Amino acid sequence: MTPGADLALFGISVLAGIIGALAGVGGGILVIPALTTIFGVDIHLAIGASIVSIIATSSGAAVAYVRDRLTNLRVGMFLEVATSTGAVGGALAAAVVAPQLLYVLLAAVLGLSVLQQVSRLGEELPPEVVPSRAAASLRLASSYPDQRLGREVPYAARRVGLGFVMMLVAGFLSGLLGIGSGVLKVLAMDGVMRLPMKVSTATSNFMIGVTAAASAGIYLGRGDVDARLAAPVALGVLAGALLGSRILVRLRNRQVRLIFVPIMVVVALQMLAKGLGLHVAFLG
Amino acid sequence: MSGPATTPHADPSAQAQTDELRLVVARVLLVGVALSAALVLAGLLASLAVGWNGSLVGAAPGGDPTDVGALAEGLRNLRPQAIAQLGLLTLILTPMTRVAASLVLFAIERDRTYVVVSAIVLAILLTGLLVIR
Repeated sequence: MTPGADLALFGISVLAGIIGALAGVGGGILVIPALTTIFGVDIHLAIGASIVSIIATSSGAAVAYVRDRLTNLRVGMFLEVATSTGAVGGALAAAVVAPQLLYVLLAAVLGLSVLQQVSRLGEELPPEVVPSRAAASLRLASSYPDQRLGREVPYAARRVGLGFVMMLVAGFLSGLLGIGSGVLKVLAMDGVMRLPMKVSTATSNFMIGVTAAASAGIYLGRGDVDARLAAPVALGVLAGALLGSRILVRLRNRQVRLIFVPIMVVVALQMLAKGLGLHVAFLG
Repeated sequence: MSGPATTPHADPSAQAQTDELRLVVARVLLVGVALSAALVLAGLLASLAVGWNGSLVGAAPGGDPTDVGALAEGLRNLRPQAIAQLGLLTLILTPMTRVAASLVLFAIERDRTYVVVSAIVLAILLTGLLVIR
């Protein structure tokens, strides 16, 4: 890579990080389309660069969530058994799956993220949950300090088995596509296990690092984590995510996030077209 | 405010142990990300000066640091690509270190269930890094 290309890669990655943070999706799902369409990077190298970027952004964000007691460490550690197993499977499958299918799946996950953003406008607490037996023996119940409500909110978990299975799928897609699959992780904890939204989001973030590390080790061994590409991309996405989260806390209305929905729809359609072999240029 | 079934930490010493785990986990993640970002940045900046396969100590251009031997050789010659690659490796090792640290703390607490859980996760991560290609 020439210095000019380095700078361009860094700049695009910063942009992907910012938009990802503002839109509430990870940087990976935006940086892979950018690398493959704008720079013509091989999808496996793009995935290798994305997966290490994800470790950086999720671990960085996890620090504050863990300190503020929003993350449920036990829920996270237990479900990481499923996500890391899935991620190893996904990374193995990535070597044999046709790239076209990878593009179509990326488009599908991005579409799901858009749907989640549109439907998730009000953050409410789940109704009182009676913990299931598995949840009780794993001691998954806890409490977190809710700043907006100004009190400690106790919560419990249920349907642990179904949550675990969903985490296997989330881990598989993460390892296959080089993304965090935070959308699926949040869906499993918030929708299925009925943990509060803030706990689900924080715990998902905590788990993404370990999930990504499971497949990143495999990509590294294959030579798909190339420093010449991954260095500017990881630094850029990390810088962009930090910047984006700063901007986000200044925004009064979280619905501003919806401004970014059209961008994600365009990127999803671009990926779908690429996967189906249609030569349609929406971007670059 | 809360029913007895969902009261989180009836035992105050359990709360203190969880708080210690939180501090250790947060510290490991912060130090790991900061260290790897510094190494990757150093490699990237050095590459702008001497090129990815160049050397800060003036050695002849070398190959890609794809395995541990080549990485060590590249680091000895201060090659930008090797410095950045070490940073990326540090990044991948950060969540693994976090899991290992949790395992130790759970062991000190004699929390058997979560010692087993952390050990399984650590085994999967190490298998991915060292065994599977």
